Amino acid sequence: MSLFTLLRRNLLRHKLRNALTALAVAVALFLFCFLYSVITTLKSAVTSSSADRVVVQSAVSLFMDLPKTYTAKLAEVEGVESVARWNWFGGVYRDPSNFFAQFAVDPEIFLEQFQECVITPEERAAWLADRRGCLIGRALARKFGWKIGDTIPLIGTIYTRPAGAAWEFTVRGIYSSTKTNLDESTMWFQYEYLDEGIESGGVQGPKGVGVFYVKTKPGTGLAEITQRIDARFEGDEQRTLTQTEAAFQAGFITMLGSVPAFLSGIGGAVLFAILFSVVNTMMITARERTKELGVLQALGFRRAVGARLLLFESMLLCGIGGLAGLSLGASSEGTFREMFGTQIPGYTVEPLTLVIGVLIALAVGAAGGLFPALQARGLRVADALRAEA
Amino acid sequence: MSSSSQDRRGHITIAGVRKSYTRGTEAVTVLSGVDLEIEAGRVVALMGPSGSGKSTLLNLVGGLDHADAGRITVDTTEITALHADELAAWRSRHVGFVFQSFNLIPVLTAQENVELPLLLQPLSKAQRKEQARYALEIVGLADRAGHRPGQLSGGQEQRVAIARAIASDPTLILADEPTGDLDRTNADAVLQMLRRLADELGKTVLMVTHDNAASAFAHQTVHLDKGALAGVAHA
Repeated sequence: MSLFTLLRRNLLRHKLRNALTALAVAVALFLFCFLYSVITTLKSAVTSSSADRVVVQSAVSLFMDLPKTYTAKLAEVEGVESVARWNWFGGVYRDPSNFFAQFAVDPEIFLEQFQECVITPEERAAWLADRRGCLIGRALARKFGWKIGDTIPLIGTIYTRPAGAAWEFTVRGIYSSTKTNLDESTMWFQYEYLDEGIESGGVQGPKGVGVFYVKTKPGTGLAEITQRIDARFEGDEQRTLTQTEAAFQAGFITMLGSVPAFLSGIGGAVLFAILFSVVNTMMITARERTKELGVLQALGFRRAVGARLLLFESMLLCGIGGLAGLSLGASSEGTFREMFGTQIPGYTVEPLTLVIGVLIALAVGAAGGLFPALQARGLRVADALRAEA
Repeated sequence: MSSSSQDRRGHITIAGVRKSYTRGTEAVTVLSGVDLEIEAGRVVALMGPSGSGKSTLLNLVGGLDHADAGRITVDTTEITALHADELAAWRSRHVGFVFQSFNLIPVLTAQENVELPLLLQPLSKAQRKEQARYALEIVGLADRAGHRPGQLSGGQEQRVAIARAIASDPTLILADEPTGDLDRTNADAVLQMLRRLADELGKTVLMVTHDNAASAFAHQTVHLDKGALAGVAHA
């Protein structure tokens, strides 16, 4: 027998009421876990970006292509090691709801630049040898049940074939990624396959290059190379905007506008609403126990003891609810990664998110129990003993 | 938990005690200068009509409330000079309470209820268990140690409350209408038990009661009326 025994038994006293309060906290913390993880996942693409790659796009807009001739010009800039062309393909697999990202790239250079893209030597050789071959991410393969050798038909929306015919790609490799800046829900195929179609006149679509990924030579400063590239194209056919990969990725988050702030706002509002629910529960609890608090004082316990019991009960209640919600949040990481694989690639619940969640749950518990605890602390024992049970 | 007549403690001296409350804008005098001497090891019944100040006096002696004026001394401790936390510590060592409605903690078993005040004593877990068990044996409820209050009769609940009151071996037992919620048979059993605590264990028992039969179990009956001492009768 200890005061913890009393605390524990009190928690189970009104099972339904406390279970509902804990459930409300669990739902709120589950939501927090999900929303916070969306934000951290989006941001982790920025933090895990490569320090030796820069991205070159049109200074006008990301949606404006750059001339293909820039490939060779970029390769001549001092400090540039390799240049890869990237074009957003925007194809539809059966239905627009099956959205996933597809890029036409220079395969050899792409694989050399992105060491985080892991495939077997056999897959590499097979992809390089097949003009219509493609690499798909592990998550994408899982989602659609694709395997090596399968044919993926895509209807072009930017690059259209005559009579709306489908492009056909053969899966030559299934990659995994060692870093979150390269998600596992993307399809990569040979730039030449796209270019051939455009050059032959059979395919309608823009003729330029979406962006160039440039790998810098060791010892080259990123600030220095970005300035040098932009200076090189200052008076050329089109001006360029060169950014580090991290800045380029961050630009996508900025394009989401106030979405992260909106998500944080929703999470905050829900937690605030739950706080009132906890305060309500604990105030009812404190009122019901007024006489017992008086008994504890009469037995010789200081007033602070009764107050602390209420405060810890509230924290324990929220802690249990919080842990339940966070456990659910953590265990559903895989499910959400599958569900939102293309919208939030690499969705991850970080340990820090869970730690913050536990702290929030305890803080909500402390805040919820504070007012009833202060009331209990102010109780005069003679008055408390006169209270109705 | 035993005491010989030589080392009996629990002598209460009440001198000029006054207490009033404010009800709305009106000041209501509850005790208007009470002087009383209670010998250690005696059972004293405090009687009088409702509003005569019996419970207020009991609360003041137990350190549950503060007097406006006057002094209450238990043995050598002037409790009217103690602050709230000092009073709590003093209560834990020297006072056991028995209430009309028992006031047991419903989520704790009889054994745990009796152990509760022992958490404030410098005792090991085993010692606490042992002492609580002994207190339950004294009131004849050792076989109900694992029962919760809701599983006990009113009489049994009050006996557990008495066990809780004596568990920490206090000097004083203060009982507020201890038989108020009991039938005659159980009431007599409780009164008998309180008397035994004084006679056999040397406790000073101060009991507020409306029960005329209680006088038969008391060494002394003190009558209060309108906040003043109206008479003292010795058995």
